Amino acid sequence: MPDDLYRLVYYSRNTITGDATALAAAITSILAKSQVNNQRVGVTGALMFNSGCFAQVLEGSRSAVEDVFERIQQDDRHGDVSLLAFDPAPARAFENWSMGFVGASIDDAARYGALVQDSGFDPARMTGESLFETLRKLAIEEEYAAA
Amino acid sequence: MTIVGSLKDVVRARQPRISALPEMAAAVLILDEDRKVEYVNASAEKLFMPVDPIGCTLSALFASCGATGGDEVFVAVDTSAEPAPMRLRLSDDRLLDCTLRSLSSGGFVVSMDDVTTYVRNAELAERDALTGLANRKALRDRLVERLASAARTGDATAVLYVDLDRFKAVNDTLGHPLGDALLRKVAERFKSALRDGDVVARIGGDEFAVIQSNAPQPAAATALATRLVDLISRAYAIDGHMLHIGASVGVAIAPDDGYEPDVLLKNADLALYRAKAEGRGCHRFFEPGMDERMQARRSMEIDLRRALALKQLELVYQPQFDLASSDIIGFEALIRWHHPTRGLVPPEEFIPFAEEIGVISAIGEWVLRTACKQAAAWPKPVAIAVNLSALQFRGGKLAETVISALAQSQLPVQRLELEITEGALLNNTDDVLNVLNRLRELGVAVSMDDFGTGYSSLGYLQKFSFNKIKIDQCFIRDIDTHADRQAILRAVTSLAVALRMKTIAEGVETEAELACIRAAGCDEVQGYLTGRPMPGGAVMALLEPACSAENF
Ligand SMILES: Cc1cc2nc3c(=O)[nH]c(=O)nc-3n(C[C@H](O)[C@H](O)[C@H](O)COP(=O)(O)O)c2cc1C
Repeated sequence: MPDDLYRLVYYSRNTITGDATALAAAITSILAKSQVNNQRVGVTGALMFNSGCFAQVLEGSRSAVEDVFERIQQDDRHGDVSLLAFDPAPARAFENWSMGFVGASIDDAARYGALVQDSGFDPARMTGESLFETLRKLAIEEEYAAA
Repeated sequence: MTIVGSLKDVVRARQPRISALPEMAAAVLILDEDRKVEYVNASAEKLFMPVDPIGCTLSALFASCGATGGDEVFVAVDTSAEPAPMRLRLSDDRLLDCTLRSLSSGGFVVSMDDVTTYVRNAELAERDALTGLANRKALRDRLVERLASAARTGDATAVLYVDLDRFKAVNDTLGHPLGDALLRKVAERFKSALRDGDVVARIGGDEFAVIQSNAPQPAAATALATRLVDLISRAYAIDGHMLHIGASVGVAIAPDDGYEPDVLLKNADLALYRAKAEGRGCHRFFEPGMDERMQARRSMEIDLRRALALKQLELVYQPQFDLASSDIIGFEALIRWHHPTRGLVPPEEFIPFAEEIGVISAIGEWVLRTACKQAAAWPKPVAIAVNLSALQFRGGKLAETVISALAQSQLPVQRLELEITEGALLNNTDDVLNVLNRLRELGVAVSMDDFGTGYSSLGYLQKFSFNKIKIDQCFIRDIDTHADRQAILRAVTSLAVALRMKTIAEGVETEAELACIRAAGCDEVQGYLTGRPMPGGAVMALLEPACSAENF
């Protein structure tokens, strides 16, 4: 059924060049655009940037997730997109986030996360399930801190 | 109606020339010397409704329905005796071809043809209905134009041919509607990668082409080809499925690789062919000489298609021994192609090719039937191992073919052993497993061939309980001097024991290797040392009770 709830998990390699300021600006604009677009079609999720990689979870109706993901796939600000999971989901995990940025602040992520470094975060070694769990936990921490 | 009323005299005055005007399908306007409308026929009246055209200038009239160019129409008549029609686009997207002539009696006549349907149809004739991209004909037309203008300016024009890898598998297994949805997404990705002025066309089921002009070559074509391979190979999420396809690209650039459209297209195709032959998922530029190699392949293809009918294929049999008893326990059937001028063509040269051109099923079936028939006549009931290509699992006929070969040859089912590689399990794993389980229920043995050379062997061992694991010769060669190979072999044999599978070592060539595989606990052996492949007649002799083989 096209309207069933689906969850999609992927990670990709950043191809945005420039210094931390430029990177932070790019991520900020991606996030702003995502929040507007996703809100419109009922997609929620979280984005993270670390070790030169983006990791993202998208959830929503199957067709909406497919459309958003297709646009993301065509974006040349990242590459080597690895789609880890795309499955029906029992419920939303990011109910309140049209697109949340989790992990560090955008500025810190841009400053310290641009290089592939020994942060212990290596999405290439993760399954869709474990990457989803990572983002979900970070989102919960964030909500907790905000509350 | 005011118009009709005010026009009666005009119409009457211009009899008989305009007597047919009111009924004409084309919209007709007559303008006076001041270039104001003084007559409209019924079609024209309808066209400009609700505006009353009488007394209007053309510009005002056109503006009322969202078109511009009222004055330009006069430019044509002022400068040329045979003015070409001018195309107007109205705000409701209708298209009108508008011709204006001066009348000898003074004033002008304007006729307007609604060409909307005609133009749309012509556009449709240029489009691929599924993706909305240009079609093959339109591609060629555009190329002719681009090459003509490039010839004047001296600019380079690149043609990129793009083939989708693995698209057919998606289409076959998940169905046409999904395949169509995938093609539409692919078309969108093409569009997102192109610059204004580039032309992209769908020219076949899963074939696309791009014309790239006004760009520095070959750098621009390299960049575009790289981008397309990357972009198209990114995963697709469609109808709840995750789909992965790839792309191969061939590039030819005018004028270096030809300045005739058809030559350029052919050369791009040849380059694509090379990209596919070199592993796909890459791009290749046309090079002189590709044509000859292509010819060579064509002739090979013709020969291979005939090989079966001309009885140029032959089976030879390589013995397999039980290491504990030294008894012959079976033979593996191996194919040979004897060609009158090519000589003996090795299977590793023609089998992949047979898979590519789709004759593998026919050859595979011949191998199966021939091996069963010959083995049925052997004096001892030893096993006969037959290789299956991954492609034979497609089409859903494999189990029936095996049953029929057994019935026809009267070979007892437990003597037949089918060898498959991990490759067979890579795609459509569930379908393949269903067939394997069905064969297993019949009593046919199934072994895993070339073990250790593929991808995720251990996963497959769990999915299907093979009767036997054939350990690839790359682990056996010089095993006596390679501790790592000994370790691997020991690991595989103990794994097999735990899974209750037998092991056979392939490609054993020396006594030292034999000693090692014996020490590692292998059950069986096959190789040049213990017995080379031999013709059917020699098998008969070898199996005669008198000469029970004590080869080692
Ligand atoms: C890592 C990454 C994540 C993105 N996530 C989203 C997203 O969740 N939603 C979205 O609409 N666009 C997302 N985008 C942006 C899209 O690729 C694309 O630029 C945008 O959707 C275009 O929107 P527009 O057509 O409204 O201009 C993302 C881009 C990147 C590089």
